[in-house]
Amino acid sequence: MSEQVVQDRHWSAYKERGSFVLMRLTAFSVRVFGRRLLAPVLYLIVLYFFASARTARRNIRQYQTYLSEWSGNPALKPTPGRVFQQFIAFADNLLDRLDVWRGRLRFEQVQLIDPSGVRPRLLRSRQGGRGEMLVVTHLGNPDVCRAMAELSEQVPLNVLVHNRHVAQFNRLLGEAGDRSMRLIQVSELDTAMMMDLSQRLERGEWLAIAGDRVPLNDGRQVTVDFLGHTAAFPQGPWLMAGLLRCPVNLLCCLKVEGRYRIYLDAFLESAQWERGRRDAAIHEWVQRYADHLAGQCLIAPQQWFNFYAYWQPVELPSHKETADAH
Amino acid sequence: MTVLQEDIAQLIIDTLNLEDVTVADIPPDLPLFGEGLGLDSVDALELALALQKRYDIRIASDSKDARQHFTTVATLAAFVQAQQGA
Repeated sequence: MSEQVVQDRHWSAYKERGSFVLMRLTAFSVRVFGRRLLAPVLYLIVLYFFASARTARRNIRQYQTYLSEWSGNPALKPTPGRVFQQFIAFADNLLDRLDVWRGRLRFEQVQLIDPSGVRPRLLRSRQGGRGEMLVVTHLGNPDVCRAMAELSEQVPLNVLVHNRHVAQFNRLLGEAGDRSMRLIQVSELDTAMMMDLSQRLERGEWLAIAGDRVPLNDGRQVTVDFLGHTAAFPQGPWLMAGLLRCPVNLLCCLKVEGRYRIYLDAFLESAQWERGRRDAAIHEWVQRYADHLAGQCLIAPQQWFNFYAYWQPVELPSHKETADAH
Repeated sequence: MTVLQEDIAQLIIDTLNLEDVTVADIPPDLPLFGEGLGLDSVDALELALALQKRYDIRIASDSKDARQHFTTVATLAAFVQAQQGA
């Protein structure tokens, strides 16, 4: 039993330190070694990760199995080679992220796919329009928000994260000369935080938050069908959107044929629920979001970088009623 | 019922889209949560946002006091008054 607990560690246990160490590595070692020298090192690290992390291999195999079954495409079925390719894709992704953080990935290099005209609305916020929300995913390159900040030209983008290292991230951003993007730590929805976010929207700022990872110790989650199996998604982004009564858009960045594509999709014109139908409304939105995410997995099947057990039943902490919102 | 209490009751109805509920249905001493009006934590958050905007007050996020202020319309009215007077 205890072994199981160790194996199925929550994603945040990996992430907390990981990203920051990675970024320090970025800011420092790339400057010293350059991408060409760093690449073989990273490939070695990922190779080691592949060889040693049985659980991660099993989880990727599970993802590939589900994706193949769900899409009815036998070409996506897992083979040792295909599982390995997904790890290699991860190494490539890390290298790309280094480039993003150094400002090497310019907006001109990124193809924007924006059928519903989200970017024009983003730019309009500069002239007194109200801000909106972007729900981002961990499929593809999650650091694209950096390129997004450039995309938004001067429209402040607040990235909401569950990370304790926010101050350090912000300092790094400042060092990199990035003034329009800011990280904000959200641990729980409370009145002060919501008030602050509401004021930011009124000032025309935008909010970005991940929609595909359930924070640790957060009972506010909803289970929906994802790739044919039940998975837990966070309620937080949708509660927030409903409380702020703002439009919600989806943002995803995938590498297709060697080039990054940013997908922007309008999702909810205004997040609002009828009295007594809140849970049902959120469930409906999250299911629609999961379906959208599944569709994007098909565009870039190898770029699913959730190496933890995505479909595991997440334990619910005892739910405290009424009191915990204040 | 004071004017402020009535005002707050109406704000609760408008904010939370309580259909078929009138100000008269929310007497000042009716518990807002649980047994009484049956609001929950997300409703409270929504209400807090609306109160802050409407009365230009600050509601501390994690104080135990804040929870007590949200017990009934009467406690809310007293809280708003105290904040505005401060």
